[in-house]
Amino acid sequence: MLLHLLVLAPFVSALLMLASSGFDSKSTARLAIFFGILISALSVLSIVLGSQSTEAIEWFRLPGTSVPIFYSLASHGINSWLVFISSFVSLVALIAAKDSFGLHYKNFSMGIFALMGAMNGSFLATDAVLFFFFFEAMVLPAALLIAAYGGADRKRAAMDFAIYTLVGSAPMLLALWYMLSLSSGASVIELALVAQNLPSSTKTLLGFSFMLAFLVKTPLFPFHGWQAKAYAEAPSPLSAVLTGAMSKVGVFGFIYWLLPVFDLSASIQNKVLFLSLFTALYGALVAMRESDAKKLLAFSSMSHLGLVVAVVFTGSTTMLSTVLILMVAHALSSSALFVLTGVAERFSGSRKLQEMGGYASKNGVFGFLFVFAGVASLAVPGTIGFVGELMALISFWEFWPTLVLVVGLCMIFSVVYTLRFVQAVVFGPLKKSKTPCQRLSVSDALAVGSLLLLIILWGLQPNWISKSLQNPVEITTQNSLQELESEEAVLAEPIQVEVSQDAF
Amino acid sequence: MIPLWLIPLFPLLGAIILGIISLASSDSQKGAPEFLLGFIGLLFPLLSFMAVLSLSFGGANTPIQETLGTWIDISFLQIQFGFLFDSLSKMMLLFVTGIGSLITWYSIGYMKHDRGFARFFAYMNFFLFSMIILVLADSLPLTFLGWEGVGLCSYLLIGFWHKDSQNAIAGNKAFIVNRVGDIGFLIAMLVLLSVGGSAFLSYEGLNAGLAGLSQAELVKIIPALALAAFFFFFGCTGKSAQIPLLTWLPDAMAGPTPVSALIHAATMVTSGVYLLARLSNLFVLVPSVLSIVLWIGLLTAFWAAVAGLFQNDIKKVLAYSTISQLGFMFMAAGVAAFDVAIFHVFTHAFFKAALFLGAGAVIHSLSGEQDMRKMGGLIQKMPITAIVMLFGFFAIIGFPGFAGFWSKDLILEKLFEFGAMGPYLYAFALLTAVLTAVYMGRLIIMTFFGSYRGSLEKSESIHDPSFSMLVPMLILTIGSAFAGYLWATLIPGANWFEQTLAPVLSSAQNHIHVQSVIHLSPLVFALVGTVAAFFGLFLAWFIFNRPVPLSKDSSDPKGFGASWTFLWDTIHQWTSVFLVKMASWFMSVVVNHFVLFVQWLLVGIVEILSDGARAIQVRKVRLQMGLSFVGILFVILIVYVYGGAV
Repeated sequence: MLLHLLVLAPFVSALLMLASSGFDSKSTARLAIFFGILISALSVLSIVLGSQSTEAIEWFRLPGTSVPIFYSLASHGINSWLVFISSFVSLVALIAAKDSFGLHYKNFSMGIFALMGAMNGSFLATDAVLFFFFFEAMVLPAALLIAAYGGADRKRAAMDFAIYTLVGSAPMLLALWYMLSLSSGASVIELALVAQNLPSSTKTLLGFSFMLAFLVKTPLFPFHGWQAKAYAEAPSPLSAVLTGAMSKVGVFGFIYWLLPVFDLSASIQNKVLFLSLFTALYGALVAMRESDAKKLLAFSSMSHLGLVVAVVFTGSTTMLSTVLILMVAHALSSSALFVLTGVAERFSGSRKLQEMGGYASKNGVFGFLFVFAGVASLAVPGTIGFVGELMALISFWEFWPTLVLVVGLCMIFSVVYTLRFVQAVVFGPLKKSKTPCQRLSVSDALAVGSLLLLIILWGLQPNWISKSLQNPVEITTQNSLQELESEEAVLAEPIQVEVSQDAF
Repeated sequence: MIPLWLIPLFPLLGAIILGIISLASSDSQKGAPEFLLGFIGLLFPLLSFMAVLSLSFGGANTPIQETLGTWIDISFLQIQFGFLFDSLSKMMLLFVTGIGSLITWYSIGYMKHDRGFARFFAYMNFFLFSMIILVLADSLPLTFLGWEGVGLCSYLLIGFWHKDSQNAIAGNKAFIVNRVGDIGFLIAMLVLLSVGGSAFLSYEGLNAGLAGLSQAELVKIIPALALAAFFFFFGCTGKSAQIPLLTWLPDAMAGPTPVSALIHAATMVTSGVYLLARLSNLFVLVPSVLSIVLWIGLLTAFWAAVAGLFQNDIKKVLAYSTISQLGFMFMAAGVAAFDVAIFHVFTHAFFKAALFLGAGAVIHSLSGEQDMRKMGGLIQKMPITAIVMLFGFFAIIGFPGFAGFWSKDLILEKLFEFGAMGPYLYAFALLTAVLTAVYMGRLIIMTFFGSYRGSLEKSESIHDPSFSMLVPMLILTIGSAFAGYLWATLIPGANWFEQTLAPVLSSAQNHIHVQSVIHLSPLVFALVGTVAAFFGLFLAWFIFNRPVPLSKDSSDPKGFGASWTFLWDTIHQWTSVFLVKMASWFMSVVVNHFVLFVQWLLVGIVEILSDGARAIQVRKVRLQMGLSFVGILFVILIVYVYGGAV
């Protein structure tokens, strides 16, 4: 029931927002924030309650296959956390948008709720087609919001974003359809069984089709063409959701829908690992020269997520907890920075760093939060980012010690571009501003403050995150795997589904 | 018994309270009353100092270990929040909290009428919190928390007056250079983790683990240990401003002078020496790394002493002198005399803090003038400040009886006794000691002697600072005079310092036996040291006691002085910075544009094709819809034809 709520409640909220007043943006905002808090509370509850699953409801049958597609959801540690991230970051976006959207707030909140529902659905889906449905459904509200409320070049950015991600996932649709025509079901395990029996060249091709969708969504080099523009043109609260939550769907896809299904060869995995590490370096290097504040953040996100995907492919025993902690860390700090950058953009009337500056001397709270958020993204000990990067370093060390130097380089670069960014926005002489550099509203400060508080809290108690991964789901998966094995007696070899150690 | 966690908790509370006050009043024209803020700002460091005092002299002499709870517990990685109060951390805490309180006291007067008063004391308290964590931690990761915490405070305080972008940029540089070192620290922890698991990350576990190894096991892991020790030392070169990562410290003088005194002279920059002493049992197992430490220390001390000669900015002279003195500390650590190194950390904290606070008083009364060419003759106008600085001066050059005399002589003595190489090391270090007397003599002469060359209209307005600033200066002056008697080699029995540290450091120091080639009595070293100090003093008097030409240009050194001073900046510029900038340029200008070009090309081709198909207006949306529809049909077709057929 809870899981149904997590997916359906956002859509219902979006519908209810339709009924709200379009002329009283204050009451509309209150309603939206109330729904947001409610859904976030539900997502916390789902973390506390541990793994659950819903009854499978048959949805439809795919033409050309005999496979029934189920509407079924399950939570298993890592995805309940991701659902929390998507709900909470959306809530922060709803709060941050309160002052800047005016009469458009109603439509904006509907879009955010639809996006939130789609993200929650894709995290919780156990059926591959259902996952894919939500995976694609995400694009629509996001692109519409960019096109409607973005910056000067918003149409182009929205179009690029939509086309790029849709085209990127088309091969996955194809591959999925093909596999389903051979399969008896659309769950991870059944897909893995299908992949098991395919010739290796076909399997690799199908694997790459899946991978491309996630490579574009995350994104990794060289599939990042849409990202900087979309993040920069999107209204800042939406950018916060895009980088904080939506980019995690790609990473989640790698972990849950790629690695367990396709038994990718070590050389392919290594190639993806190096591509991810290159992405991490690349994003950091480009961010160093970027003069557009939001593009800088986009490349910084790219760099951080490159590191996350690289950890996924180290195959380390602590991969899941490391990746989850890194993702939580990145979600919190990057969305805080995007929200604050949105405020700075409002002050200066431009996204250009040269036209920002000196806000700390005029607006102490803003300066404090900005510096805090900036430093919190640098993996300073005491923040959750440190735990994540320490664990990441350990994973790389186990994989190949020399890689640690590359990761170290990324960490140094991230200090270079982040401090440059912080200095350009809040320090130096006060630049002439379009709107007076007024006080940060209390709700904005609270929203960002709560993100920063969580960064510290989990930085000091990361076990709250990592412990929740060690739950009984592992056993259920193992059991169902065994049942399947006994059913499929024809198989000579035991099934090798790559299930990483601490979850599923 | 006072629980250990109270010691860091006090300044943390202070930081939080002051931070909230600062934020709450940030939008109003006038902040909270300064005397109240100053009181809070001083109260918490003092409370912490008193807690340390009562623990040090009130309780038993056995080490106290306290675990608060779990920090990280993920599979094989277990890290606790634990504190260790043994004689080494006791010694460090005594002067960190003591001198920290004194400098906070001084700051109340120094920062008067600054709009960021509350913010300043919040940072100072937060710095003390981090420094205490660094020293008191019982494991490397927790030390690292303090280590980056002090770096963060240093960044914030260097850029304290952030309206001037140059200050903020100096802060960035400090953070970045320190981060380079910190990666070394992280890698070193990884190496230890892979050698001995989580146990090796706690100091007690590491010491016990290393002691418990058999000779054969030890030989096997020596390369790994050497790697770990090397990377730890690399981390130290960042935090303690040694070659090659020393460029940030002179720039850090952009911060308020009390900050330079506390963070960039007395406490934070010595944490590298502390870390080496803490890990002494590891370092003595790898003499090769120790000899790197020794040579880096020697070269840094010499290079910085020469650089000190070229500076016209009074704070820059003191900055280079700090680097040079830190080099002396690393020399001592390099010959495995960790207790001597810590002793020099201790005495240096007093006299360098006194010198900086004196310089701060001078700058304050000259309305912010830092160029020594515009000073002179100040001894008549601010005699008490002059006395404070003279005492600090006598201490740093090793004038007989003063604090630096005892600690520097011990270092020289240990260098001399270090095997066959010893006498040469000794001679080199002695040369540096002479240079110290020369550049410090120059500072004193240019500031206090001769006639006033500044531009202040009413030179009568130049006066000693207020009472609240003078008291801490005078206390530090007393320290610069007498701190050395805690370990005075010439006085039998006066080695309380050595005895106190022995339980922690003796096992490591006894591990290395290097026979001294020539045996000399301590008196000889004392005599030679005295002669060196007087010789340097004489040189300084001879060279610099003459009229200084007036000049209006910047205080930066020129010519050879500039090339020497900025040697390491230049090296960084041409190796790392240039390469990174090139890579950044290449990636963002060449590669990124190429990727976008390819993307544009693909989209363009699609659009051209579609234009041929239907050149109708509003084509874009319809086109995309149409294309996706066709695509889906195509997919369905393929699945129908091939599906299930394989």
